[in-house]
Amino acid sequence: MGIRIALAGNPNCGKTTLFNALTGSNQFVGNWPGVTVEYKEGKYKGDKEVKIVDLPGIYSLSPYTLEEVVSRNYLIDEKPEAIINVIDGTNLERNLYLTTQIVELGIPVVIAINMMDVVEKNGDKINTKKLSEEIGVPVIEISALKNRGLKEIVDAAVKVAKEAKPQSPKHRFNGSVEHAFAHIEELCLHGIEDENVQRWYSIKLFERDEKIQEKLGLSSDVIDHIEKDIASCEKELDDDAESIITGERYNYIGTIINDCVKKAAKGLTISDKIDKVVTNRWLALPIFAVVMWLVYYISVTTVGTWATDWANDGVFGDGWHLFAIGSSDYADAADEFTANQLIVDGYDLYVEENGSEPTGDFEYPVEDEETAAVDYETASLDDYAAAKAYVESNEEPDPANYGVWIPGVPVFVEAGLDAIGCNDVVKGLILDGIVAGVGAVLGFVPQMLVLFIFLAFLEACGYMARVAFIMDRIFRKFGLSGKSFIPMLIGTGCGVPGIMASRTIENDRDRKMTIMTTTFIPCGAKLPFIAMVAGAIFGGASWVAPSAYFLGIFAIITSGIMLKKTKMFAGDPAPFVMELPAYHWPTLGNVLRSMWERGWSFIKKAGTIILLSTIVVWFCTFFGVVDGAFTMLEEDQIDHSILAGLGRCLAWIFIPLGFGDWEATVASITGLVAKENIVGTLAIIYGAAGDVYETMRAAFTDASGFAFLAFNLLCAPCFAAMGAIKREMNNTKWFWRAIGYQCGFAWVIGLIVYQVGKVFTGEGFTVGTIFGIAAICVLLYGLFRKDKYNK
Amino acid sequence: MGTVIVVLILALVVGAIVRSMVKAHKRGEHPACGGDCGHCGGSCGCH
Repeated sequence: MGIRIALAGNPNCGKTTLFNALTGSNQFVGNWPGVTVEYKEGKYKGDKEVKIVDLPGIYSLSPYTLEEVVSRNYLIDEKPEAIINVIDGTNLERNLYLTTQIVELGIPVVIAINMMDVVEKNGDKINTKKLSEEIGVPVIEISALKNRGLKEIVDAAVKVAKEAKPQSPKHRFNGSVEHAFAHIEELCLHGIEDENVQRWYSIKLFERDEKIQEKLGLSSDVIDHIEKDIASCEKELDDDAESIITGERYNYIGTIINDCVKKAAKGLTISDKIDKVVTNRWLALPIFAVVMWLVYYISVTTVGTWATDWANDGVFGDGWHLFAIGSSDYADAADEFTANQLIVDGYDLYVEENGSEPTGDFEYPVEDEETAAVDYETASLDDYAAAKAYVESNEEPDPANYGVWIPGVPVFVEAGLDAIGCNDVVKGLILDGIVAGVGAVLGFVPQMLVLFIFLAFLEACGYMARVAFIMDRIFRKFGLSGKSFIPMLIGTGCGVPGIMASRTIENDRDRKMTIMTTTFIPCGAKLPFIAMVAGAIFGGASWVAPSAYFLGIFAIITSGIMLKKTKMFAGDPAPFVMELPAYHWPTLGNVLRSMWERGWSFIKKAGTIILLSTIVVWFCTFFGVVDGAFTMLEEDQIDHSILAGLGRCLAWIFIPLGFGDWEATVASITGLVAKENIVGTLAIIYGAAGDVYETMRAAFTDASGFAFLAFNLLCAPCFAAMGAIKREMNNTKWFWRAIGYQCGFAWVIGLIVYQVGKVFTGEGFTVGTIFGIAAICVLLYGLFRKDKYNK
Repeated sequence: MGTVIVVLILALVVGAIVRSMVKAHKRGEHPACGGDCGHCGGSCGCH
């Protein structure tokens, strides 16, 4: 028979880190509450007979939050053979509050004082021997992060589990309270099979815990009788029952701390000093804005762009030079050839347009590769003669003649397909469909990995916990709970766990509102799309990617304020309690592991659902009806494709948003399968017309491009996230309300962005602009109207 | 002949993907979230 050992402790004390270290699993570790909302099981690496159970972090065994209910139900009903009570050694006093309750459960307990490395670094001293004597259970020093004391703690837990003798709690309450317990036990608990848990039940009944009353099936007579005992005790001690128990527990903890802990005398810690700036009332938000701007700037615009250019133009393009050897020589040669070719082409263009040769200097067009802006330069006849001579005497430079040239995947695949004489239709499917679509998505992997490294670092070092604290202050001003921000933080990776994290919000209305708004924040899957829009439409402008993130935050806050003023969501925000962990340098391994987990999930998706989607999109793009016959289409015929037909049926919806063409419409729809599909779809459709970025740039203006981005960021999420919304809402009507709100809100924001934005981008004031301004007025009314339902 | 081989390989790949997705679906995972639930805070709740 195996042994089950439960890990119980406060949020953020390192339970999941310990669980991962003991079981070798890769459960997500975060330093905010709500990371573990259900218990998880794993087998101990050192002995497969030992099962480790990671319980949600809790502050007490009172049934106030979902995590507390989940944890205590597991401990009471499942009765693990032993409990490892994980305690944050840097915050012993608060952590021991739960310990005083766990030792009353009648289950063998060992205490693991975690983060001992930090305790020692701080110069603090904990007398574990004395602590063990005072609480009455074994105490082991550990550091889950540094793999210290792990074997010892499991060995100790296995030992007490095998002995199967629960330690009796050393703590005794005030005489009159103990007297009340004795009455309660005698009245209704003597029949309980497990005698060891009687004391815990009596304390809970003394605290008037309704869930325990219900669980024990107490009659109203018995409850009335107990009530008399409680009331008499309350009268004697002049306090309410729950406060009496809490107060006595903290008095007991106070004596333990006095006896067992020696704090090093010192002023503010480095963490405190950093927090004075980072969480400062005025500086916190600007610092957060700068940090997120930097993260997105580096991920998407600088380092990420270099890497993605290599992936897109090299690996999934024509090819690349190994170790970049020969790249600059080739670039110089290519630039020189292009410059001469442009003069020759410009001369020919002049002749074509004017019907005669120029007699002196002439102008010729030069297109900027990044922005597609066309500029005109002047050349003399001598320049033309030199350029013509150069072009005639030199061939266009071949990159293979410079360094070691590695052909890109499309070139390689095409050569292979040609070599085996593959049919054109199948070749088109593989090259224009799968390679172009999946390649376009995979090309963004380097950018995503860079972003994930930053996010993992910010989470692990403790900054994201501060962000939750900062946002709580702001959210609360608007009647929202800071708890709503935690799902949003988790949602930056994937919307599904973000939506699931909303379970930690006890207030049903706040929870529903959080579910509706969490996916507004850009998840990892939206990053390729953001990067594509930034690169193709805005010439790689650095403000586009961060603006997507802040648009998400804006949408959440705006929605929160507006929804809170409706009858459905009115009410006080739930209180938000979280501790700020001390700043620390995360280990490289943890950051890389977190990055890889998210990145691998993205790559796996590209190889499955995205690949299948590209096949469907390719088929619907390159097949259609021409002259009454269903046939495969040439690249200039895709306006007759199945996809074009489907897109046109819905494109009218997006006309007010400036992207009412079938291509953008279809991309938005395929994005509902998975958001990366937007990129894959656009790569296939626009790729048929030539260079994807150039075609995309021509299809959008700045205003319509940003409206396209805004709509797709804020509208209904992918099917997986929609499934999570449906599960968490547990109500079809609410599910459709959520999807309807998201799409409606996204449409209105898209309308404002396009209709008002085009005034600022020089496209002029039109009738549509009036509707855009009207939409702003409606939003402002929703934000500032009188709140009838909240005081 | 080349075409037949390529189509067969493609069909095998698509079949394998569909099979893995169906299996994932039966486990309660959704392919569009990557199916990598290791880092999912609510994995036990949905799977």
